[in-house]
Amino acid sequence: MSITNLLQNWSDFRQQHPSDERPHQEYKWAMSIDLDLCTGCNACSVACYAENNLPAVGKEKFSHGHSHHWLRIERYWHNEDREYADQGAQFLPMMCQQCEAAPCETVCPVGATNHTADGLNSQVYNRCVGSRYCNANCPYKARYFNWYDYPTTADVWPAPMEQQLNPDVTVRGKGVMEKCTFCVQRLTVAKSNARTEGRSVHDGEVQTACQQACPTGAISFGNLIDPESRVAKQWEKQQVKLNHDKQAKDAVHDGDKLRGYRILENLRTYPSVMYLEQLREGAI
Amino acid sequence: MYRFLRLSVLLVGLIAAVGSVAVHAAQPLTTADDLGPVVDQPIEFPHDRHAGDAAKGGMQINCMYCHTYARRSNVAGIPPLQKCIGCHRSIESVRETPRIKKLFEYWEAKKPVPWKKVHDLPDFVRFNHERHIQRFVFAQEKPVQEACGYCHGDVKTMTVARRQKPLSMGWCVSCHQKDHPVSATSTKTTHGPNDCWQCHK
Repeated sequence: MSITNLLQNWSDFRQQHPSDERPHQEYKWAMSIDLDLCTGCNACSVACYAENNLPAVGKEKFSHGHSHHWLRIERYWHNEDREYADQGAQFLPMMCQQCEAAPCETVCPVGATNHTADGLNSQVYNRCVGSRYCNANCPYKARYFNWYDYPTTADVWPAPMEQQLNPDVTVRGKGVMEKCTFCVQRLTVAKSNARTEGRSVHDGEVQTACQQACPTGAISFGNLIDPESRVAKQWEKQQVKLNHDKQAKDAVHDGDKLRGYRILENLRTYPSVMYLEQLREGAI
Repeated sequence: MYRFLRLSVLLVGLIAAVGSVAVHAAQPLTTADDLGPVVDQPIEFPHDRHAGDAAKGGMQINCMYCHTYARRSNVAGIPPLQKCIGCHRSIESVRETPRIKKLFEYWEAKKPVPWKKVHDLPDFVRFNHERHIQRFVFAQEKPVQEACGYCHGDVKTMTVARRQKPLSMGWCVSCHQKDHPVSATSTKTTHGPNDCWQCHK
Protein backbone atom coordinates (compact mmCIF):
# COMPACT_ATOMS: atom_id res chain seq x y z
CA MET A 1 0.00 0.00 0.00
CA SER A 2 1.65 3.16 -1.16
CA ILE A 3 0.99 6.56 0.33
CA THR A 4 -0.75 7.57 -2.92
CA ASN A 5 -3.10 4.65 -2.52
CA LEU A 6 -3.66 5.56 1.10
CA LEU A 7 -4.67 9.10 0.19
CA GLN A 8 -6.83 8.06 -2.73
CA ASN A 9 -8.73 5.46 -0.77
CA TRP A 10 -8.77 7.32 2.52
CA SER A 11 -12.25 6.15 3.45
CA ASP A 12 -11.25 2.51 3.03
CA PHE A 13 -8.53 2.87 5.61
CA ARG A 14 -10.34 5.22 7.98
CA GLN A 15 -13.53 3.38 8.65
CA GLN A 16 -15.73 5.55 10.82
CA HIS A 17 -18.03 2.88 12.16
CA PRO A 18 -19.18 -0.54 11.09
CA SER A 19 -21.80 0.01 8.43
CA ASP A 20 -23.99 -2.20 6.31
CA GLU A 21 -22.61 -0.49 3.23
CA ARG A 22 -19.17 -1.95 3.72
CA PRO A 23 -19.67 -5.27 5.46
CA HIS A 24 -16.86 -7.67 6.19
CA GLN A 25 -16.48 -10.05 3.30
CA GLU A 26 -15.31 -13.38 4.55
CA TYR A 27 -13.84 -12.95 8.00
CA LYS A 28 -14.48 -10.81 11.02
CA TRP A 29 -12.23 -12.00 13.79
CA ALA A 30 -13.74 -11.64 17.23
CA MET A 31 -13.25 -12.94 20.71
CA SER A 32 -15.29 -13.67 23.77
CA ILE A 33 -13.87 -14.05 27.26
CA ASP A 34 -15.80 -15.77 30.01
CA LEU A 35 -14.75 -14.02 33.22
CA ASP A 36 -16.49 -16.69 35.26
CA LEU A 37 -13.90 -19.15 34.00
CA CYS A 38 -10.92 -16.82 34.35
CA THR A 39 -8.82 -17.67 37.38
CA GLY A 40 -6.31 -14.88 36.83
CA CYS A 41 -3.46 -17.35 36.36
CA ASN A 42 -1.68 -15.17 33.76
CA ALA A 43 -0.99 -18.10 31.42
CA CYS A 44 -2.52 -16.09 28.55
CA SER A 45 -0.16 -13.22 29.22
CA VAL A 46 2.87 -15.52 29.33
CA ALA A 47 1.80 -17.22 26.10
CA CYS A 48 1.50 -13.82 24.50
CA TYR A 49 5.04 -12.90 25.57
CA ALA A 50 6.34 -16.10 24.00
CA GLU A 51 4.33 -15.89 20.79
CA ASN A 52 4.80 -12.23 20.00
CA ASN A 53 8.42 -11.61 21.02
CA LEU A 54 7.50 -9.29 23.86
CA PRO A 55 10.39 -8.05 25.96
CA ALA A 56 10.14 -8.67 29.70
CA VAL A 57 11.30 -5.22 30.78
CA GLY A 58 11.87 -5.86 34.46
CA LYS A 59 10.60 -4.24 37.61
CA GLU A 60 12.19 -0.83 37.26
CA LYS A 61 11.04 -0.11 33.69
CA PHE A 62 7.65 -1.57 34.55
CA SER A 63 7.23 0.94 37.35
CA HIS A 64 8.01 3.71 34.84
CA GLY A 65 5.14 2.49 32.70
CA HIS A 66 7.36 0.96 30.05
CA SER A 67 5.74 -2.44 30.23
CA HIS A 68 5.01 -4.50 27.14
CA HIS A 69 2.26 -6.89 28.10
CA TRP A 70 -0.04 -6.90 25.10
CA LEU A 71 -2.40 -8.89 27.28
CA ARG A 72 -2.61 -7.90 30.92
CA ILE A 73 -4.78 -9.25 33.72
CA GLU A 74 -6.56 -6.41 35.44
CA ARG A 75 -7.65 -6.95 39.04
CA TYR A 76 -10.72 -5.49 40.67
CA TRP A 77 -12.01 -5.63 44.23
CA HIS A 78 -15.64 -4.95 44.92
CA ASN A 79 -16.04 -5.60 48.64
CA GLU A 80 -14.37 -3.31 51.13
CA ASP A 81 -15.71 -5.02 54.26
CA ARG A 82 -13.76 -8.24 53.91
CA GLU A 83 -11.72 -9.86 56.59
CA TYR A 84 -8.72 -9.85 54.31
CA ALA A 85 -8.40 -6.85 52.01
CA ASP A 86 -6.92 -8.82 49.10
CA GLN A 87 -9.67 -11.40 49.14
CA GLY A 88 -12.26 -11.67 46.41
CA ALA A 89 -10.30 -10.25 43.49
CA GLN A 90 -11.96 -10.34 40.12
CA PHE A 91 -9.84 -10.70 37.02
CA LEU A 92 -10.21 -9.27 33.59
CA PRO A 93 -7.82 -10.03 30.73
CA MET A 94 -7.39 -6.81 28.79
CA MET A 95 -5.84 -6.57 25.36
CA CYS A 96 -6.41 -4.52 22.22
CA GLN A 97 -10.15 -4.72 21.59
CA GLN A 98 -9.68 -4.49 17.81
CA CYS A 99 -12.32 -1.76 17.65
CA GLU A 100 -14.34 -1.42 14.48
CA ALA A 101 -14.17 2.36 14.83
CA ALA A 102 -10.83 2.52 16.53
CA PRO A 103 -9.96 5.86 18.15
CA CYS A 104 -6.26 5.12 17.59
CA GLU A 105 -6.68 4.92 13.82
CA THR A 106 -8.11 8.40 13.36
CA VAL A 107 -5.29 10.16 15.20
CA CYS A 108 -2.28 8.48 13.63
CA PRO A 109 -0.52 11.19 11.63
CA VAL A 110 1.15 8.72 9.27
CA GLY A 111 -1.53 6.07 8.79
CA ALA A 112 0.54 3.43 10.55
CA THR A 113 -2.53 1.93 12.13
CA ASN A 114 -5.55 1.16 10.03
CA HIS A 115 -8.31 -1.31 9.51
CA THR A 116 -7.87 -4.58 7.67
CA ALA A 117 -10.57 -6.28 5.63
CA ASP A 118 -10.85 -8.91 8.38
CA GLY A 119 -11.83 -6.30 10.95
CA LEU A 120 -8.49 -6.14 12.67
CA ASN A 121 -6.84 -2.94 13.74
CA SER A 122 -3.43 -3.28 12.15
CA GLN A 123 -0.22 -1.69 13.35
CA VAL A 124 2.57 -1.35 10.83
CA TYR A 125 5.89 -0.87 12.57
CA ASN A 126 7.69 0.33 9.45
CA ARG A 127 5.37 3.24 9.05
CA CYS A 128 5.12 4.20 12.73
CA VAL A 129 7.02 7.35 13.66
CA GLY A 130 6.35 7.08 17.39
CA SER A 131 4.08 10.06 17.93
CA ARG A 132 2.15 8.02 20.55
CA TYR A 133 -1.10 9.81 19.72
CA CYS A 134 -2.75 6.42 19.29
CA ASN A 135 -1.83 5.43 22.83
CA ALA A 136 -3.19 8.70 24.17
CA ASN A 137 -6.47 8.17 22.36
CA CYS A 138 -6.92 4.50 23.23
CA PRO A 139 -9.62 4.20 25.91
CA TYR A 140 -8.40 0.71 26.82
CA LYS A 141 -4.74 1.68 27.19
CA ALA A 142 -3.83 -1.39 25.21
CA ARG A 143 -0.97 0.08 23.21
CA TYR A 144 2.65 -0.14 24.23
CA PHE A 145 5.58 1.95 23.16
CA ASN A 146 9.16 0.80 22.62
CA TRP A 147 11.12 3.23 24.76
CA TYR A 148 14.33 1.27 24.27
CA ASP A 149 15.90 -0.81 21.60
CA TYR A 150 15.25 -3.91 23.63
CA PRO A 151 17.07 -6.54 21.55
CA THR A 152 20.40 -4.69 21.61
CA THR A 153 20.58 -2.09 24.37
CA ALA A 154 18.45 -3.61 27.11
CA ASP A 155 19.42 -7.20 27.61
CA VAL A 156 15.91 -8.64 27.64
CA TRP A 157 16.80 -11.80 25.78
CA PRO A 158 20.22 -12.85 27.08
CA ALA A 159 21.86 -15.53 24.92
CA PRO A 160 20.69 -18.13 24.07
CA MET A 161 17.19 -16.81 24.71
CA GLU A 162 17.09 -14.94 21.41
CA GLN A 163 16.81 -18.39 19.85
CA GLN A 164 13.28 -18.71 21.15
CA LEU A 165 12.03 -15.64 19.31
CA ASN A 166 9.17 -16.29 16.94
CA PRO A 167 10.39 -15.83 13.35
CA ASP A 168 6.87 -15.01 12.18
CA VAL A 169 6.76 -11.86 14.28
CA THR A 170 9.04 -8.85 13.92
CA VAL A 171 11.29 -7.95 16.82
CA ARG A 172 10.31 -4.32 17.17
CA GLY A 173 12.89 -1.60 17.36
CA LYS A 174 13.01 1.56 19.42
CA GLY A 175 10.38 4.24 18.87
CA VAL A 176 7.46 2.28 17.51
CA MET A 177 4.09 1.52 19.00
CA GLU A 178 2.84 -2.03 19.31
CA LYS A 179 -0.22 -3.88 20.50
CA CYS A 180 -2.15 -7.13 20.41
CA THR A 181 -2.62 -8.36 16.85
CA PHE A 182 -5.03 -11.24 17.55
CA CYS A 183 -1.99 -13.36 16.54
CA VAL A 184 -2.28 -12.22 12.94
CA GLN A 185 0.65 -14.46 11.96
CA ARG A 186 -1.46 -17.50 12.80
CA LEU A 187 -4.51 -16.08 11.05
CA THR A 188 -2.51 -15.54 7.88
CA VAL A 189 -1.29 -19.13 7.85
CA ALA A 190 -4.79 -20.50 8.48
CA LYS A 191 -6.28 -18.33 5.76
CA SER A 192 -3.60 -19.37 3.29
CA ASN A 193 -4.11 -23.07 4.02
CA ALA A 194 -7.86 -22.68 3.69
CA ARG A 195 -7.50 -20.82 0.43
CA THR A 196 -5.33 -23.53 -1.10
CA GLU A 197 -8.06 -26.02 -0.28
CA GLY A 198 -10.72 -23.67 -1.64
CA ARG A 199 -12.68 -23.16 1.58
CA SER A 200 -13.01 -20.77 4.51
CA VAL A 201 -11.15 -21.20 7.78
CA HIS A 202 -13.01 -23.70 9.97
CA ASP A 203 -14.01 -22.75 13.46
CA GLY A 204 -11.30 -23.87 15.87
CA GLU A 205 -8.74 -24.26 13.09
CA VAL A 206 -6.88 -21.20 14.30
CA GLN A 207 -6.30 -20.29 17.92
CA THR A 208 -4.70 -17.24 19.41
CA ALA A 209 -1.78 -17.88 21.76
CA CYS A 210 -3.77 -16.69 24.80
CA GLN A 211 -6.68 -18.94 23.92
CA GLN A 212 -4.39 -21.91 23.44
CA ALA A 213 -2.76 -21.38 26.82
CA CYS A 214 -5.91 -20.76 28.85
CA PRO A 215 -6.30 -23.76 31.18
CA THR A 216 -9.99 -23.18 31.76
CA GLY A 217 -10.93 -22.38 28.18
CA ALA A 218 -12.21 -18.94 29.10
CA ILE A 219 -11.17 -17.40 25.81
CA SER A 220 -12.84 -18.29 22.54
CA PHE A 221 -11.81 -16.82 19.25
CA GLY A 222 -13.15 -17.15 15.75
CA ASN A 223 -14.93 -15.75 12.77
CA LEU A 224 -18.01 -13.72 13.60
CA ILE A 225 -19.30 -13.97 10.02
CA ASP A 226 -19.54 -17.77 10.27
CA PRO A 227 -22.85 -18.37 12.11
CA GLU A 228 -21.66 -21.81 13.22
CA SER A 229 -18.54 -20.57 14.98
CA ARG A 230 -18.39 -20.71 18.76
CA VAL A 231 -17.81 -16.99 18.99
CA ALA A 232 -20.73 -16.11 16.74
CA LYS A 233 -23.00 -18.38 18.75
CA GLN A 234 -21.88 -16.79 22.01
CA TRP A 235 -22.41 -13.28 20.69
CA GLU A 236 -25.80 -14.33 19.34
CA LYS A 237 -26.85 -15.94 22.59
CA GLN A 238 -25.78 -12.94 24.64
CA GLN A 239 -27.53 -10.65 22.15
CA VAL A 240 -24.44 -8.53 21.70
CA LYS A 241 -24.38 -6.91 18.28
CA LEU A 242 -21.12 -5.77 16.77
CA ASN A 243 -22.47 -2.64 15.14
CA HIS A 244 -24.50 -1.31 18.08
CA ASP A 245 -23.19 1.13 20.67
CA LYS A 246 -26.14 0.36 22.95
CA GLN A 247 -27.33 -3.20 23.13
CA ALA A 248 -31.08 -3.65 22.87
CA LYS A 249 -31.01 -6.24 25.66
CA ASP A 250 -29.78 -3.64 28.17
CA ALA A 251 -33.03 -1.69 27.78
CA VAL A 252 -35.16 -4.72 28.60
CA HIS A 253 -35.95 -5.62 32.18
CA ASP A 254 -34.67 -9.20 32.05
CA GLY A 255 -31.78 -8.26 29.81
CA ASP A 256 -29.34 -8.20 32.69
CA LYS A 257 -29.68 -11.96 33.00
CA LEU A 258 -27.47 -12.10 29.94
CA ARG A 259 -23.83 -11.81 30.91
CA GLY A 260 -22.32 -10.52 27.69
CA TYR A 261 -21.00 -6.99 27.51
CA ARG A 262 -18.33 -5.02 25.79
CA ILE A 263 -16.09 -2.61 27.61
CA LEU A 264 -16.71 1.13 27.14
CA GLU A 265 -19.17 0.37 24.40
CA ASN A 266 -20.82 3.77 24.84
CA LEU A 267 -17.69 5.43 23.44
CA ARG A 268 -18.71 4.00 20.06
CA THR A 269 -15.54 2.12 19.51
CA TYR A 270 -17.45 -1.05 18.55
CA PRO A 271 -14.92 -3.42 20.10
CA SER A 272 -14.49 -6.99 18.82
CA VAL A 273 -14.06 -8.52 22.26
CA MET A 274 -17.08 -9.53 24.30
CA TYR A 275 -16.73 -10.29 27.99
CA LEU A 276 -19.06 -12.54 29.94
CA GLU A 277 -19.71 -11.12 33.36
CA GLN A 278 -18.48 -12.98 36.42
CA LEU A 279 -21.26 -14.50 38.52
CA ARG A 280 -19.58 -16.65 41.10
CA GLU A 281 -17.51 -15.30 43.92
CA GLY A 282 -13.78 -15.35 43.29
CA ALA A 283 -12.03 -18.17 45.13
CA ILE A 284 -8.96 -16.11 45.81
CA MET B 1 -7.36 42.16 6.46
CA TYR B 2 -5.86 39.48 8.60
CA ARG B 3 -8.69 37.19 7.70
CA PHE B 4 -7.81 37.55 4.01
CA LEU B 5 -4.18 36.91 4.81
CA ARG B 6 -5.05 33.79 6.68
CA LEU B 7 -7.25 32.61 3.86
CA SER B 8 -4.55 33.14 1.27
CA VAL B 9 -1.98 31.34 3.41
CA LEU B 10 -4.42 28.48 3.78
CA LEU B 11 -5.08 28.42 0.03
CA VAL B 12 -1.39 28.45 -0.84
CA GLY B 13 -0.82 25.63 1.61
CA LEU B 14 -3.71 23.67 0.19
CA ILE B 15 -2.52 24.11 -3.40
CA ALA B 16 0.98 23.11 -2.41
CA ALA B 17 -0.34 20.02 -0.63
CA VAL B 18 -2.59 18.97 -3.53
CA GLY B 19 0.21 19.71 -5.98
CA SER B 20 2.69 17.55 -4.12
CA VAL B 21 0.19 14.71 -4.02
CA ALA B 22 -0.45 15.11 -7.75
CA VAL B 23 3.28 15.07 -8.50
CA HIS B 24 3.66 12.03 -6.31
CA ALA B 25 0.75 10.28 -8.01
CA ALA B 26 2.19 10.98 -11.45
CA GLN B 27 5.33 9.01 -10.69
CA PRO B 28 4.94 5.46 -11.93
CA LEU B 29 5.62 2.67 -9.48
CA THR B 30 8.96 1.18 -10.22
CA THR B 31 8.89 -1.92 -12.35
CA ALA B 32 12.35 -1.45 -13.81
CA ASP B 33 14.96 -4.10 -13.28
CA ASP B 34 17.42 -3.52 -10.52
CA LEU B 35 20.34 -5.91 -10.49
CA GLY B 36 21.26 -7.24 -7.09
CA PRO B 37 24.76 -7.97 -5.88
CA VAL B 38 26.74 -10.89 -7.26
CA VAL B 39 26.56 -13.70 -4.74
CA ASP B 40 29.52 -16.06 -4.70
CA GLN B 41 28.20 -19.58 -4.35
CA PRO B 42 30.31 -22.54 -3.20
CA ILE B 43 29.65 -24.18 -6.56
CA GLU B 44 28.94 -22.08 -9.60
CA PHE B 45 25.57 -23.67 -10.31
CA PRO B 46 24.54 -23.35 -14.00
CA HIS B 47 20.83 -22.55 -13.96
CA ASP B 48 20.99 -22.08 -17.75
CA ARG B 49 22.21 -25.65 -18.27
CA HIS B 50 19.45 -27.12 -16.10
CA ALA B 51 16.45 -24.93 -16.82
CA GLY B 52 17.41 -23.20 -20.08
CA ASP B 53 15.81 -23.67 -23.48
CA ALA B 54 16.68 -26.80 -25.45
CA ALA B 55 17.89 -24.72 -28.37
CA LYS B 56 20.56 -23.23 -26.13
CA GLY B 57 21.60 -26.55 -24.69
CA GLY B 58 19.37 -26.40 -21.61
CA MET B 59 17.54 -29.34 -20.08
CA GLN B 60 14.25 -27.40 -19.50
CA ILE B 61 13.83 -28.86 -16.04
CA ASN B 62 10.81 -27.49 -14.17
CA CYS B 63 11.83 -24.96 -11.48
CA MET B 64 9.76 -26.89 -8.96
CA TYR B 65 11.62 -30.14 -9.57
CA CYS B 66 14.41 -28.76 -7.37
CA HIS B 67 12.69 -25.87 -5.58
CA THR B 68 10.00 -28.26 -4.57
CA TYR B 69 8.44 -26.41 -1.63
CA ALA B 70 7.38 -23.38 -3.68
CA ARG B 71 3.94 -24.81 -4.37
CA ARG B 72 3.15 -25.82 -0.80
CA SER B 73 5.10 -23.59 1.55
CA ASN B 74 6.16 -20.05 2.32
CA VAL B 75 9.66 -20.74 1.03
CA ALA B 76 10.69 -22.26 -2.29
CA GLY B 77 13.48 -24.29 -0.70
CA ILE B 78 16.98 -25.16 -1.79
CA PRO B 79 17.22 -28.79 -2.92
CA PRO B 80 19.10 -31.17 -0.65
CA LEU B 81 22.40 -32.51 -1.96
CA GLN B 82 20.73 -35.88 -2.36
CA LYS B 83 18.61 -34.45 -5.16
CA CYS B 84 21.69 -33.29 -7.10
CA ILE B 85 23.42 -36.63 -6.61
CA GLY B 86 20.27 -38.54 -7.49
CA CYS B 87 20.59 -37.42 -11.08
CA HIS B 88 24.32 -36.85 -11.32
CA ARG B 89 25.45 -40.29 -10.23
CA SER B 90 23.97 -41.60 -13.47
CA ILE B 91 25.24 -38.81 -15.74
CA GLU B 92 28.66 -40.14 -16.62
CA SER B 93 29.43 -37.56 -19.32
CA VAL B 94 29.96 -34.70 -16.85
CA ARG B 95 31.18 -36.77 -13.90
CA GLU B 96 34.78 -35.55 -14.20
CA THR B 97 34.06 -31.84 -14.69
CA PRO B 98 35.36 -29.58 -11.88
CA ARG B 99 31.96 -28.49 -10.56
CA ILE B 100 30.56 -32.00 -10.38
CA LYS B 101 33.77 -33.26 -8.75
CA LYS B 102 33.28 -30.60 -6.09
CA LEU B 103 29.68 -31.67 -5.69
CA PHE B 104 30.72 -35.27 -5.04
CA GLU B 105 33.35 -34.06 -2.55
CA TYR B 106 30.54 -32.59 -0.45
CA TRP B 107 28.57 -35.81 -0.88
CA GLU B 108 31.45 -38.02 0.24
CA ALA B 109 32.21 -35.73 3.18
CA LYS B 110 28.51 -35.96 4.10
CA LYS B 111 28.27 -32.20 4.24
CA PRO B 112 25.52 -30.04 2.72
CA VAL B 113 26.53 -27.47 0.13
CA PRO B 114 26.51 -24.10 1.91
CA TRP B 115 24.45 -22.26 -0.71
CA LYS B 116 23.98 -18.57 -0.09
CA LYS B 117 20.70 -16.73 -0.25
CA VAL B 118 20.17 -14.54 -3.30
CA HIS B 119 16.59 -13.32 -2.89
CA ASP B 120 16.60 -12.17 0.70
CA LEU B 121 13.59 -10.25 1.93
CA PRO B 122 13.74 -8.14 5.11
CA ASP B 123 12.74 -9.88 8.34
CA PHE B 124 9.55 -7.84 8.66
CA VAL B 125 8.12 -9.17 5.41
CA ARG B 126 5.82 -12.14 5.21
CA PHE B 127 6.03 -13.59 1.72
CA ASN B 128 4.27 -16.76 0.67
CA HIS B 129 5.47 -18.66 -2.42
CA GLU B 130 2.55 -21.07 -2.22
CA ARG B 131 -0.11 -18.41 -2.79
CA HIS B 132 1.64 -17.06 -5.86
CA ILE B 133 2.38 -20.46 -7.41
CA GLN B 134 -1.13 -21.73 -6.73
CA ARG B 135 -2.58 -18.68 -8.42
CA PHE B 136 -0.31 -18.24 -11.40
CA VAL B 137 0.85 -21.75 -12.17
CA PHE B 138 -2.09 -23.90 -11.09
CA ALA B 139 -5.10 -21.57 -11.43
CA GLN B 140 -3.98 -19.44 -14.35
CA GLU B 141 -1.92 -22.22 -15.93
CA LYS B 142 0.99 -19.94 -16.76
CA PRO B 143 4.27 -21.62 -17.71
CA VAL B 144 6.29 -22.22 -14.54
CA GLN B 145 9.36 -20.34 -15.73
CA GLU B 146 7.25 -17.33 -16.66
CA ALA B 147 5.46 -17.29 -13.29
CA CYS B 148 8.67 -17.66 -11.29
CA GLY B 149 10.30 -15.12 -13.58
CA TYR B 150 7.90 -12.35 -12.54
CA CYS B 151 9.93 -11.98 -9.37
CA HIS B 152 13.11 -13.95 -10.01
CA GLY B 153 13.92 -12.64 -13.47
CA ASP B 154 15.23 -14.73 -16.32
CA VAL B 155 17.00 -17.32 -14.20
CA LYS B 156 17.11 -19.81 -17.07
CA THR B 157 19.69 -17.64 -18.83
CA MET B 158 21.87 -17.18 -15.74
CA THR B 159 24.49 -19.44 -14.31
CA VAL B 160 24.51 -18.44 -10.64
CA ALA B 161 21.19 -16.73 -9.88
CA ARG B 162 21.32 -13.02 -9.33
CA ARG B 163 18.54 -10.79 -8.15
CA GLN B 164 17.07 -8.98 -11.14
CA LYS B 165 13.93 -7.35 -9.74
CA PRO B 166 13.91 -4.69 -6.99
CA LEU B 167 11.76 -6.77 -4.55
CA SER B 168 10.74 -3.47 -2.95
CA MET B 169 7.30 -2.70 -1.58
CA GLY B 170 6.37 -0.38 -4.43
CA TRP B 171 7.36 -3.06 -6.88
CA CYS B 172 5.23 -5.70 -5.13
CA VAL B 173 2.30 -3.28 -5.00
CA SER B 174 2.63 -2.42 -8.69
CA CYS B 175 1.63 -6.00 -9.44
CA HIS B 176 -0.88 -6.33 -6.61
CA GLN B 177 -2.80 -3.34 -7.99
CA LYS B 178 -3.22 -4.94 -11.42
CA ASP B 179 -6.23 -7.06 -12.25
CA HIS B 180 -5.37 -10.71 -12.69
CA PRO B 181 -7.81 -13.35 -13.95
CA VAL B 182 -8.79 -15.80 -11.22
CA SER B 183 -8.25 -18.81 -13.50
CA ALA B 184 -7.14 -19.70 -17.01
CA THR B 185 -10.70 -19.94 -18.29
CA SER B 186 -12.39 -17.25 -16.19
CA THR B 187 -12.93 -13.67 -17.25
CA LYS B 188 -13.33 -12.61 -13.62
CA THR B 189 -10.38 -10.65 -12.33
CA THR B 190 -9.19 -9.69 -8.88
CA HIS B 191 -6.17 -7.83 -7.65
CA GLY B 192 -3.71 -8.80 -4.97
CA PRO B 193 -4.29 -8.08 -1.28
CA ASN B 194 -3.88 -4.44 -0.36
CA ASP B 195 -3.69 -4.79 3.38
CA CYS B 196 -0.55 -3.90 5.37
CA TRP B 197 -0.72 -6.97 7.58
CA GLN B 198 -0.86 -9.30 4.60
CA CYS B 199 2.85 -8.74 4.02
CA HIS B 200 4.14 -6.86 7.05
CA LYS B 201 4.52 -8.84 10.21
